[in-house]
Amino acid sequence: MLTLGVSSLAGLVIGGSATRANAATVAYSDTDILNFALNLEYLEANFYYLAAFGTTIDKANTASTAAGAPLITLAGTVGTAGTVSGGSKVPFTTIPVASYAIETAVEEGKHVQLLLTALGSSAVAQPAINLGTAFQTLATAAKIPGGSGFSPYASDATFLVGAYVFEDVGVTAYHGAASLLTVPANLVTAAGILAVEAYHAGLIRTTINYLDPTGATIAGYTNLISTLRASLSAAGLLGVAPGSYDANPDDFGLATVSVSLGGGTNATAARITDADATNVIAFARNTTQVLNIVTGGGAVSGTAQVSPAVGVFFPAGMNAGPNGFK
Amino acid sequence: MTNLSTFINSATSRRRFLAGAGASAGAVAALGITGCAGGTTSAPSNPTTPSTAVTDTDILNFALNLEYLEASFYLYAATGAGLQSSDTTAGSAATYQTVGTVTVGDAAAVPGLTAAQQQILNEIAFEEQAHVRFLRTALGTAAIPMPDIDLSFFGPLAVAATITTAATGSGSFNPFSSFDYFLVGAFIFEDVGVTAYSGAAPLISAAGVTAGYLTAAAGILAVEAYHAGYIRTSLTGRAIAAGSAAAYPYLGAANLVADLRATLTVGDSAAPSTSGSVETSLTLPTSLTTPSAIVAASASDAVGFSRTVNQVLHVVYGSPTVGIGKGGFFPNGVNSPLAITTA
Repeated sequence: MLTLGVSSLAGLVIGGSATRANAATVAYSDTDILNFALNLEYLEANFYYLAAFGTTIDKANTASTAAGAPLITLAGTVGTAGTVSGGSKVPFTTIPVASYAIETAVEEGKHVQLLLTALGSSAVAQPAINLGTAFQTLATAAKIPGGSGFSPYASDATFLVGAYVFEDVGVTAYHGAASLLTVPANLVTAAGILAVEAYHAGLIRTTINYLDPTGATIAGYTNLISTLRASLSAAGLLGVAPGSYDANPDDFGLATVSVSLGGGTNATAARITDADATNVIAFARNTTQVLNIVTGGGAVSGTAQVSPAVGVFFPAGMNAGPNGFK
Repeated sequence: MTNLSTFINSATSRRRFLAGAGASAGAVAALGITGCAGGTTSAPSNPTTPSTAVTDTDILNFALNLEYLEASFYLYAATGAGLQSSDTTAGSAATYQTVGTVTVGDAAAVPGLTAAQQQILNEIAFEEQAHVRFLRTALGTAAIPMPDIDLSFFGPLAVAATITTAATGSGSFNPFSSFDYFLVGAFIFEDVGVTAYSGAAPLISAAGVTAGYLTAAAGILAVEAYHAGYIRTSLTGRAIAAGSAAAYPYLGAANLVADLRATLTVGDSAAPSTSGSVETSLTLPTSLTTPSAIVAASASDAVGFSRTVNQVLHVVYGSPTVGIGKGGFFPNGVNSPLAITTA
């Protein structure tokens, strides 16, 4: 899979995931893919609205209105509408983190609005979303110290960790979707949203890196979270030998790495970018991999897909068209 | 379902790009007939293939030109030296064979960095270098060599953007003189890289999609956006820490760059207006209830911008003139049949 050359480019690009990704996915229409994205945007937008404003995307309050955050009319009808549980306004104490939270909330809200409008009557309803205990479950699984009591709404620092959980996943999901879309204009839009998710990820990772340059606390947590995501993602590849995958994970936290620059000797580099170490191309994930991450392992049993995938952030699963998501 | 193009101007950009590409091929042929005065490595010299379509190779090679520039900039900033020579050579079947040189100017390792700052420069330099190597490997014998690159162009660009007085009050702009100046220098490139890949992605052929070009382009696009996110977050964060725009003039300097880019790209539009802008100015949040502006994206739907080849060229050539084929960071043009701006 690491053989160089044009013909093997697809495998080269993301360390082999692309080829396996194709094997793991069913044939999705553009509508399916955009609805998959809409589920993720419901999740992200509600997280940021709650953290920044203390409300969900469908209920305006003084803070959300003042920020110009879109008030979302939950117009999606496909599937079963659910409620959002957990989450509360973060008692921000620093301007950078507070301002980033507000910006991100507004942008994710706009993504929801864009997809709802584009999908029209084909749009899925907002599913049940858990933004409370889901974080404790994931933090525990990731072995974050005190994970069973972890709340992303407790402080500026824990908010950043919560945001970290989502952003790189958004990047990989849109990246994975890009080559599946058939309508060129949809691809342009997906590429544009992909860019925004990567801006967000860069923002979050940069800020964590500034706040914890030695990796003693929250930057160290990013390594734990990335390791968990890579593990869940690997399971989503259905039967790939764990040993081979662990040696080539599809997620990296902020731990520094040694690199060779120009013709010179090795130098220590940061890892703001979440990408493969050789070609430095961001990772892509298929729907099974993404589902397995956001459901905390609910998408895979052994080497078989589970549908609907249920768990963690999506306690009743994502909403989908008649074919579901796997 | 409603097609997304209803909401996204980018589709228009795509059509413009396609139209521009076809026109470009015509322009190339015409230039070839008149003899390519000043013929250099940049002189289009492929009259036997008057293709009206942009090939995947053209797209990847166009991107490679930009990666050569970015990698050279970051490597100099991080280490004081550029790409090693083995990363700049021409593929045996490339239309262009002459390896360009880098006009170094003030380019040097940025002094006075903290360890954390040095690690960031090392990271971005390594990653852009990796993109050069990746594209060269993917292109194989078709890989173009590094074109002539002028890293002394930051000075004139800054003057054009009126940065000199805004940022420092004295002296000339030099992105290699401090970390903050470096951030402004990097700001020039990163959003452009994002938008260039975004503009290129839908142009890749069906065969190219199968071959993995699209996912590669999307993956590099994401990395460029990570970088842009870093640069914009750092400028914003350091401005917040300084407390005011006056205390941290680099934020304003970056916005002057954005303004200049917007001016340069009007060559692509007959009626430039703010509705066609592909820039998002940085803001300085002053309270716990004001948003930042880290992301460069459409204000209406938060979708990242894309730029056409022509728009990218206007920025890196430092000129809005239609028909120009070189200048700015590429004193002899990019090594591409798309080198001459057509709109």
